Amino acid sequence: MTIEAEGTITYQSFGLGVWALTANDTTYELFEPPAELQQEGLAIKVTGNIRDDIMTVAMIGPVLEVQNFEILSS
Amino acid sequence: MKKWLLLLLFFAGFSWAIANFQGLSAQGQYDSIIFDFKESLSSAEIERKVESLSTQFQTDLTYNSQFSLSDHVFIAKGDEQLLKAIQNSGIKEFTEFVEPNYTYQALFSPNDPDFDKQWNLKSINMEAAWQASRGRGTTVAVIDTGIAPVADLKRTRLVPGYDFVNDRANATDDHGHGTHVAGTIAQSTNNNFGVAGIAYEAQLMPLKVLGRSGSGTVSDIAESIRFAADNGADVINMSLGGGGESQLMREAIEYAHQKGVVIVAAAGNAARSAVEFPARYPHVIGVSALDSEGQKAPYSNYGAGVDISAPGGSLRGNDRLGGILQNTINPRDGSSIFAAFQGTSMASPHVAGVAALIRSIGVQSPDQVEQVLKQSAVAVKDDAANYFGTGKLDASRAVRLAAQKSFGFNGFMGWLRNGFFLGPRFWFDARAVQWGHKLLMLATAAIIAWLFRLPWNWSMGWGLILGSTGLFILRCFHLVDLPHWPLRVLGSSLPELGGAISGANALNPLTANVLIALGLIVLLLSHPQLKWFALGGSAGITACLAVSALVAPQVVWFGSTAVAQGFLGINALLCLALFYLASKSASRSA
Repeated sequence: MTIEAEGTITYQSFGLGVWALTANDTTYELFEPPAELQQEGLAIKVTGNIRDDIMTVAMIGPVLEVQNFEILSS
Repeated sequence: MKKWLLLLLFFAGFSWAIANFQGLSAQGQYDSIIFDFKESLSSAEIERKVESLSTQFQTDLTYNSQFSLSDHVFIAKGDEQLLKAIQNSGIKEFTEFVEPNYTYQALFSPNDPDFDKQWNLKSINMEAAWQASRGRGTTVAVIDTGIAPVADLKRTRLVPGYDFVNDRANATDDHGHGTHVAGTIAQSTNNNFGVAGIAYEAQLMPLKVLGRSGSGTVSDIAESIRFAADNGADVINMSLGGGGESQLMREAIEYAHQKGVVIVAAAGNAARSAVEFPARYPHVIGVSALDSEGQKAPYSNYGAGVDISAPGGSLRGNDRLGGILQNTINPRDGSSIFAAFQGTSMASPHVAGVAALIRSIGVQSPDQVEQVLKQSAVAVKDDAANYFGTGKLDASRAVRLAAQKSFGFNGFMGWLRNGFFLGPRFWFDARAVQWGHKLLMLATAAIIAWLFRLPWNWSMGWGLILGSTGLFILRCFHLVDLPHWPLRVLGSSLPELGGAISGANALNPLTANVLIALGLIVLLLSHPQLKWFALGGSAGITACLAVSALVAPQVVWFGSTAVAQGFLGINALLCLALFYLASKSASRSA
């Protein structure tokens, strides 16, 4: 399933830590995010796939595999 | 000779089991001695005696408390040797008794130096639970990122697992999560190093399904569940979640549950109502997380699917004390570190560890283990949103309840099966028999015999048993690699014989009818002793057919239909009529 989302990058302390996208109503766990997105507080707009076939240690929300992104502000 | 040998083996096995049960009491230790002086002595006499004893044995007799002088009680530093010397010194003349001042160390406290930082283990009363079980004889599969051989797992036993990510036998950890989770379950404990784990005498089975990023596919996880079930795991821990519902995974969980594996999974960390998969599947114990104050951790999922809650910790800012501390690896260089993590990932292994303790005590079926966990949990009032499931995990209450439950027949058989008495070649499956039906049949047969005022003797008793239920307990026994049919036949009543020989659970109309009773009566009614067997047998067959007709009318060729019910009912009535006529005739001739 492909989605578009807009929100802020956060780093959450589960296990050894995980990168997340906090959008308006949902927190997405970013699946192997590119290095440019690994920066707390970054506002971004992304297009990506929701990976329903994947389970993780963080369990903070749907797993989002980023395909395209646009940095709105850092 | 054989009988004696079996009896000897039985007692050896029994004694071994008893000897290995650590019990709930601590061993007596003391480093001081109590003196209780006779009531008849004056205070001045006592003071003089105290002075002379102190000089003679070079130890200071002191008051135990402010009440001691009036109670005439004193204590002195001393060991066993000194106690014996004092007792042999003629002190009996002026004391009621002199005895060891036992230190009541009710709890086992491990010597791991950082055990004090493990608030989580204290909050589930681990010290009291360790008195009864440390998980020996059980295997816990850790389906996670693998397990690295860190220093504080050195004494923990690992059994072969598998790395489903890289398709290789060595399931080591390149992430750190799995090693941490494994530590909570079975960190090497009382080893003067690091921290403690819950079921530290259990074996761990490392199953790597999550890669370096901490994620993995549903197909690998489902495969690993089957691997665990096929390779002797007693408990599975899954500190992972997410994704959608999967038929593959549901079937794998069903398979493991049927093979007797207890399955525990984390509720998830999205702070939302309803747990993640796999905690959401049936037969999976879903665990929500508590912080160090026993409140729901802010991140923990709750609501539907939460069965129980356990410490998961909560890290506020830089305060690591609120987390769960275990030994793991630093994923950057693989070095061994002690790290405090938070998450329902940390809560789940607490429950898995305690499940291993329960299994070790002798509670076998996964449903019963779940029941013990839930019943022994400390219930939380006014939990409308289901933050806590049935309550907060309590290891001490769980092992006590498990000991009560396993004290009966199942626990005894558990002892035998786990011991060397008949070893792994012996299997007892209580579910092979519908106990309620069997007891009802026996009771009905006895009532019929009693109503017709038949005499009680051995022939009658055997007739009643073999006619109604047979030696049904034998059906529960399996000897591995040997055919089961002889035990099945020996464990069957006369009407059940046809079904037992063919291996069906249903009654076979060839034997489940009035003809067997008729045959017994025709052949044996004239014999002075065996006629009671024939009568008891007829009463038993009546009971078997009648109870089957009413509660479980399963007949080969007829199925569970009204026809089957009618067939059994008519034969039961015919049997009863036959029994009535024969009993009158027998009573006349008696």
